[in-house]
Amino acid sequence: MPTVVLMDVSLSMTRPVSLDQGSEEFQRKNLAVAGLTMLFEHMATNYRLEFTSLVAFSSLWELLVPFTRDYNTLQEALSNLEDYDKTCLEAALHGVSNVVQQEWGHACPTQVVLVTDGSLGIGAGSLRHSLQTLKPRPEDKKFPLPFPFPAKLFVMCIATMEELQVTDSMDNLEKLLQLNGGDGQIFTMEGQLCLKSVQSMFGRLIDAAYTPFHAVLHCGNLASDVQVFPRPEPVFLDEEVDPLPRHVLTDLEIVGFIEIGDISSPPVTSRHLVLPIAVNKEVDDVGTGTTEEMEEETTANQQAGKAPNFCVLLHGSLKVEGMVALVMVGPEWYGMLYSQADSKKKSNLMMSLFEPGAEPLPWLGKMSQLGPISDAPENPYGEDDSRSPFPLQPQAKRSYAQNVTVWIKASGLQTDVQKILRNARKLPEKTQTFYKELNRLRKAALAFGFWELLKGVAELLERECTLLPDTAHPDAAFQLSHAAQQLKLASTGDSQYAAFDHNINPMHTDFSGGGAGM
Amino acid sequence: MKLFSVSHKTAFVVDHCPYMAESSRQQVECDVLTKSRGQGVIPLAPVSKSLWTCAVECSMEYCRILYDVYPTKKLVNYIVSDSEFHILNSWRQEDQSTHELMSALAAVGPPNPREDPECCSVLHGLVAAVESLCKITEYQHEARTTLMDTADRVANRGRIICLTNAKSDTHVRMLEDCVQETILEQNKMAASSDRLMLIQQCELVLVHIFPQGEDTLVSDRPKKEVSSLLTSEVHSVRAGRHLATKLNILVQQHFDLASTTITNIPMKEEQHANTSANYDVELLHHRDAHLEFFKSGDLHMAGSTSRDSGLKETVTLKWCTPRTNSVELHYCTGAYRISPTDVNSRPSSCLTNFLLNGRSVLLEQPRKSGSKVISHMLSSHGGEIFLHVLSSTRSTLEDPPSISEGCGGRVTDYRITDFGEFMRENRLTPVPEAPDESDKTPSERAKAQLERHTRYWPMIISQTTIFNMQAVVPLANLIVKESLSEEDVLTCHKTVYNLVDMERKNDPLPISTVGSRGKGPKRDEQYRIMWNELETLVKTHVGSSDRHQRVLDCVTACRSKPPEEEERKKRGRKREEKEDKTEKNGSRDTEDKSWQESDRLKGALDREKEEQAESEVIKDSPDSPEPLNKKPRLEEMQLPEKAKGPVSLLTMWTNRITVANSRKHPEFAGRISSVNNKADLYQHLKDENGMDLHENGKAAR
Repeated sequence: MPTVVLMDVSLSMTRPVSLDQGSEEFQRKNLAVAGLTMLFEHMATNYRLEFTSLVAFSSLWELLVPFTRDYNTLQEALSNLEDYDKTCLEAALHGVSNVVQQEWGHACPTQVVLVTDGSLGIGAGSLRHSLQTLKPRPEDKKFPLPFPFPAKLFVMCIATMEELQVTDSMDNLEKLLQLNGGDGQIFTMEGQLCLKSVQSMFGRLIDAAYTPFHAVLHCGNLASDVQVFPRPEPVFLDEEVDPLPRHVLTDLEIVGFIEIGDISSPPVTSRHLVLPIAVNKEVDDVGTGTTEEMEEETTANQQAGKAPNFCVLLHGSLKVEGMVALVMVGPEWYGMLYSQADSKKKSNLMMSLFEPGAEPLPWLGKMSQLGPISDAPENPYGEDDSRSPFPLQPQAKRSYAQNVTVWIKASGLQTDVQKILRNARKLPEKTQTFYKELNRLRKAALAFGFWELLKGVAELLERECTLLPDTAHPDAAFQLSHAAQQLKLASTGDSQYAAFDHNINPMHTDFSGGGAGM
Repeated sequence: MKLFSVSHKTAFVVDHCPYMAESSRQQVECDVLTKSRGQGVIPLAPVSKSLWTCAVECSMEYCRILYDVYPTKKLVNYIVSDSEFHILNSWRQEDQSTHELMSALAAVGPPNPREDPECCSVLHGLVAAVESLCKITEYQHEARTTLMDTADRVANRGRIICLTNAKSDTHVRMLEDCVQETILEQNKMAASSDRLMLIQQCELVLVHIFPQGEDTLVSDRPKKEVSSLLTSEVHSVRAGRHLATKLNILVQQHFDLASTTITNIPMKEEQHANTSANYDVELLHHRDAHLEFFKSGDLHMAGSTSRDSGLKETVTLKWCTPRTNSVELHYCTGAYRISPTDVNSRPSSCLTNFLLNGRSVLLEQPRKSGSKVISHMLSSHGGEIFLHVLSSTRSTLEDPPSISEGCGGRVTDYRITDFGEFMRENRLTPVPEAPDESDKTPSERAKAQLERHTRYWPMIISQTTIFNMQAVVPLANLIVKESLSEEDVLTCHKTVYNLVDMERKNDPLPISTVGSRGKGPKRDEQYRIMWNELETLVKTHVGSSDRHQRVLDCVTACRSKPPEEEERKKRGRKREEKEDKTEKNGSRDTEDKSWQESDRLKGALDREKEEQAESEVIKDSPDSPEPLNKKPRLEEMQLPEKAKGPVSLLTMWTNRITVANSRKHPEFAGRISSVNNKADLYQHLKDENGMDLHENGKAAR
């Protein structure tokens, strides 16, 4: 989930923070930079796969750093911020929307971290003004929220709650959050405006959005500690029936294995890297200094590299065998683990999550009904792996898989009638097809209450009878007049002849019994 | 879409009154005469459909599309109304098919034009429809039962689609009022019933059908609220293809469908088999398949309007070659069932048959810039065709650290092939639902099987001996089973005996030397490791059944000796050897001997190609005469050497130390009781009675 840091560089950010006498003078901007520095440092060590970009805004906006994993660049840009004029949030949010869509499209969930002092401008271009003029806007000048992509909005206020409540800033920010579908949070500083409280505020943001998701991947008794990146987000299924969000559990249990061809490019709601991690249980007891910890970490990692890890084994075998592992991530919630190679021949263990529910993939059936091969009376894959129990066949065939009759267009009806006539001319060779097509037409005509058609086709068949050449097989005439008569009977609606499930059968003649009449 | 939205229940009310028997006056020429047969034949007069036929076939088309896209959970109740109402099916899932409805419609037949028009009304059907909406569906019932105390979250909403021929706008208002009143009445009744549900929202869609060439007496009206419970809209349409188009639009609106036209489908012509023309096929599916277009505003650019109507939009996607293969795992963000708009046309059936035969087609999005973007894929799964949405934007997961750089990434001897085999054994299969057969679901049993199979599963080759041995395979495969048959136990026993036999013959073991320096442990040490490992494996399954226990009993009984005993035995033998040598070679220094041994081995290397290398080495030895019981020891030293090249200095040193140490241990009990310095080994094998071993063991102690 990429992050956009939207930094307020308006003049109001340069307001000094009143501190105790004698201490160094701070601007709000300095505090904001300190907070972001802390966030970037955290990400660089614990969340380094996150793409982050930095956008600065005042009345205009500027993309300072495009999406990157290079936190030094971000840090550098942060220290070179300049001060500009007034705050105009609407334009900046448009900017964010553009930046994200250009890079990631419209489906990628994004986190927007807005850092501001909470004075959101005055007059035209101010947030208050934007929110007041939400409704009567033409299509092309709409307010940028909600974003066209799923987004979480975190507002980091370099101000206290009290300060914001004096003006209507808090109300406006809350309304902003609401516009975003309520996804996000507003953080304010607690107590005095100082380095410590800004750090505690960004600490709360880190806890809320940037703590790595650690889990244990189990396959029976084999297990591995893993980090799942990006963090799996809670999912809402049907907000009316089941309004509680579903969370991915920290125990990911493999249920079994399925071949890639069988699972067949299933739809997934999200994709995650599954990275094996070494859990160093003694790290809490040892090491107080940062450098020491770092060193310890590297040695721990080196050791971990040499210790066999289940993820690596699993990844290797999934890759070689062309299979996926079906993994249970929560109650009635499944995903799949597979090997994913990028263009640079680097390969990784990935987890894709299916839609929560009992039956996310129709062709696999209910997930809970997937059992071991040994449950089946004989190996469903065949002794030589030539068969597969998948895909599951649905109980009813879809319209395109059965020979349905649709006469909405005249051509549909014409084709069906011509088909009968074509076969009628080739009697008795085509007796079976002739009656098959005839019965199909008869069924549809009866269902649609289209008795006129039955009479019409009966007449056509009678005419064909008179047009038969002298060389025609005698059986042909018998079958045609028999069929015509049956259609006429059906067209009366007489229940004896017009039953839907009744079929017109070929007339049994002396000729049809193997050329007796020749 | 919420499960219990208005679209959960659709009641079709089709007017079956005498006036519906009227002709739609749209004529169909079904006698198309070919030129060659045209002469002298009077063509059949064109047939025309009645209003009833038009209504029925269009409603069936509505249902066909609905059932194709939503095979479950979107239900139709079909009601026909004349002098009374006829309910043709129920809300039950098994009643939901066009075949079922067509059969019931055939039984109803067309309206009887001679019936008294005064007694007939569509009202009977509308009342029945409201009553029917109060009836609980199996899905509502199931949801209510599972939610228990929050059962009120299960909503009851529905839609009534009424196909009729109304007299006037006043008539329409009368129908609306009637529905409104009936809802209120029925809700009162439902309030006091467990089997009925209150209607919370009802959408009435009145479709007024009138013959071609006539002016309509009823005006179109967009959706309006009649009350908080009821909304109503009126569509006034000519019978025939206008009606078909209208219902096609309605089914799209009602079920959030969108249209995609696949263009440039190459199809072989019947007449000209070697040429192929390009065709278009229009498909309907859930509109989320176009989500990306909606959001980006590309919809208008990418799409063109459908040929059939100016009202609905379709997105055009281009057939794309080369096709994809099934073993590729695409990143797919959605898969939606499709239904062709024109199911019987030749292009449609060609496309659907192509897909049903198991082939997939990638679809390309036409873009302004001309760059090729593959955005969708058509693929069938078990006779159902799905439109897959493929992700075509940049991934946030690009350039991740390779797995070889992370934990366990440096290890190179993972048992990849073995784990592949393990995965094949633990593949899943759908198990038919069998109520109250066992309390565990199949997926729980699958997990239980994984648990059993992994009780002892070393991840790397150098951690295991038994899994590198073909001889252990039968036992290893069987022991993980939940229950063993007598035959299985026998097979396990045979495996153990076979191992015993191998040990007796002193066959080499595939002990890995990775990690350990030199050529690794000695042969009897190897066997000890192997037996220990086997015992560990079997022990983890002992709790499963008595038969598993019997396998363990067999292993413990047959394994050479309990470990300490074994140790002693080995050392004893070595010391004996040593003693033999010292007797025969006087006070020759052990070190000297080792050097000579190494010379000898170099000689062996020189003559590597000779078949009898080993025995010749022995015969050529200056240390002759060779004691008989020394032979195995030499073999043991030379075999690993064959594989690993010349013996290392360390190995020689280790050997020397081992030999020296062996002297410090008590004499092997067997030798004490031996005759002429010869003791019979493996007496129990001759006796074929494992108990003997135990007794011997005890006696020895």
